[in-house]
Amino acid sequence: MFEVSALHNFGFPANSLDLLGNNEFQTINDDPIGHFHTPITTATSVLGLAFDNGVILAADTLGSYGSLARFKNISRVLKVNKNIILGVGGDYADFQYLKELVNGKMIGEECLEDNVPLKPASLHCWLTRVLYQRRSKVDPLWNNVLIAGVQNKTPYLGFIDKLGTAVKDTVIATGFGAHIAVPLLRNGVQKKPNMNKQEAEELIVKCMEVLYYRDARSFNKYELGIITPDEVQIKGPISIKANWDISQYVSGYE
Amino acid sequence: MALASLPHLSGMKKNDSRFNPYDDNGGSIVAIGGDNYLLIASDTRLSTGYSIYTRNQSKLFQVSNKSIVGCSGCWCDTLTLTRLINARMQMYLHEHNKEMSTPALAQMISTMLYYKRFFPYYVSVVMGGLEPDGSGWVYSYDPIGNLERSKFHAGGSSGALLQPLLDNQVGLKNIQNIVEESITLEKASRIVQDVFISAAERDIYTGDEIHIMCITADGIKEEKVDLRKD
Amino acid sequence: MSILAYNGGAVVAMKGKNCVAIASDKRFGIQAQTLSVNFEKVFEMSPHLYVGLPGLATDTQTVHQRLKFRQNLYELKEGRRMSPKAFSAMLSNLLYERRFGPYFVEPIVAGLDQNYEPYINAMDLIGCITQPDDFVVSGTCASQLYGMCEVLWEPNLEPDDLFETISQALVNACDRDAVSGWGAVVHIIEKDKVTIKHVKTRMD
Repeated sequence: MFEVSALHNFGFPANSLDLLGNNEFQTINDDPIGHFHTPITTATSVLGLAFDNGVILAADTLGSYGSLARFKNISRVLKVNKNIILGVGGDYADFQYLKELVNGKMIGEECLEDNVPLKPASLHCWLTRVLYQRRSKVDPLWNNVLIAGVQNKTPYLGFIDKLGTAVKDTVIATGFGAHIAVPLLRNGVQKKPNMNKQEAEELIVKCMEVLYYRDARSFNKYELGIITPDEVQIKGPISIKANWDISQYVSGYE
Repeated sequence: MALASLPHLSGMKKNDSRFNPYDDNGGSIVAIGGDNYLLIASDTRLSTGYSIYTRNQSKLFQVSNKSIVGCSGCWCDTLTLTRLINARMQMYLHEHNKEMSTPALAQMISTMLYYKRFFPYYVSVVMGGLEPDGSGWVYSYDPIGNLERSKFHAGGSSGALLQPLLDNQVGLKNIQNIVEESITLEKASRIVQDVFISAAERDIYTGDEIHIMCITADGIKEEKVDLRKD
Repeated sequence: MSILAYNGGAVVAMKGKNCVAIASDKRFGIQAQTLSVNFEKVFEMSPHLYVGLPGLATDTQTVHQRLKFRQNLYELKEGRRMSPKAFSAMLSNLLYERRFGPYFVEPIVAGLDQNYEPYINAMDLIGCITQPDDFVVSGTCASQLYGMCEVLWEPNLEPDDLFETISQALVNACDRDAVSGWGAVVHIIEKDKVTIKHVKTRMD
């Protein structure tokens, strides 16, 4: 019968592309490429939604240490310039490195004194190269990045993962949000194609609530980043007033 | 401190989280070359596993007025490879004051893929273009640069489903008592749409829309056709 | 490589108007080496009932023999022929008995039922049945066959057209598989006759 996994091996013999030799090396020290990398303090989903004249991002403020809710008040939605905001998930240390890298880039841009602020598409492309170069060294920056902004008066929303996979869309969510929030966001967009800022914010807030109920690595405090041609806003931390009255209906798993 | 002694990692086997620099983002490409045209098409779905990144990402890249590169597989490699190709096309243009010809581009892509022989771009490339005599030809590659020149090719996640069909309908294989003649643009276009609709029935990595591009002496025309979105 | 692809081979079956067709290639090989070109994988189980058993050749034969054995017991006990449905249930059960050490075959059943209605199904190597109303494919070039059938097949084909459709689907699919082909055989099953045609193919 039809095997999905066998579909796309480009006719290569099995495992010939397994360059890291998953089964050949017994200890970390024998690893030929040498980097044992795994995320330590992690942050969960980032949501992004483009509306009529801007983009909204959302991410909670929790830094998890495995299943331990270790840091409860971290910020990962940031303003880059008047055109761009970022929302980052994944490893928090790698995020802090990335943040400094972007800050450095912005200082470099300012030093040009050309009064041409960096545009979201440019930063999206540049960050894609940064993440791709690190994955090619097999020492990735373990992050999902959403780049939001306004370019030529149209909303811009981009995504990059730790491999340097870059995507542009009007609705993007990372991690658990890709499974839980994207259907809700797409449904909202389908019902109301040209949302204004307020409607977009209400929809995103609803998604953050749902994620808080269902994502075990999420938190009841989050930040919003809203960018329009007129202003950049980082809102929050905002608290979710959870309603657990219905939790009794989730039963049968005892 | 050994990483394995961190509390939430202590139960983890070291190979569990070994970083995999590749991903399979799916996507299919079909190209047909005729006497005076080149037709190339891709779907617009970009996925990972059972998730869809976007329903609107063509895998076709116009690199000159005479040739188009189709590239699917690991999307981060696709982005890198096609950007490098574009850069090399620019360098050639500035150095020689003319666009690179399709056969020269074909060889360049092979060289660029082989350059990464031991850490390959995990992609299936189908390039199509008009040659100096005006005829359309298709060049297809494996991830490490093996190159084949043909009149038609199907690559990507649905390559295995579509290639025998092209053999039959375009290459007229296993058909007796007919006059072999090259097919018209209209027929090629119809076949391409039919095969993508069929591939979308059975391959979860192919769907959403077909992006069709056609090169003739008059220039390049584009078209989008709907596919199933489930 | 999967043990299912050790010998190579392909089977396809299609529904038509008051008829069904089932076809297989004829290659028998060990990995890349072809050993014989008359190894048919489709067997007549009764006048209107055929089964195709592509996969590991030794299991093709064993499963065929054990099926025939159980079918004989059924027919002796019941004094009537087996319907395709009952036959499929029996085959599925036979396969599931070996749930944790399976026979490496992915069978296809094709035939006409008691009312001479077309019947086809396919199952995986542990007996999970699927029963579509167009066509079923199995074997090492299953994906190629899907591509071919999805385009060529249409509802209510007459026997002659059904023969042409299934032959083109099988032959072109096999030509893109290194371990299938080397001749093909097609069975067209109608109410009052079964036509068996051997199709010439590329032999490389």
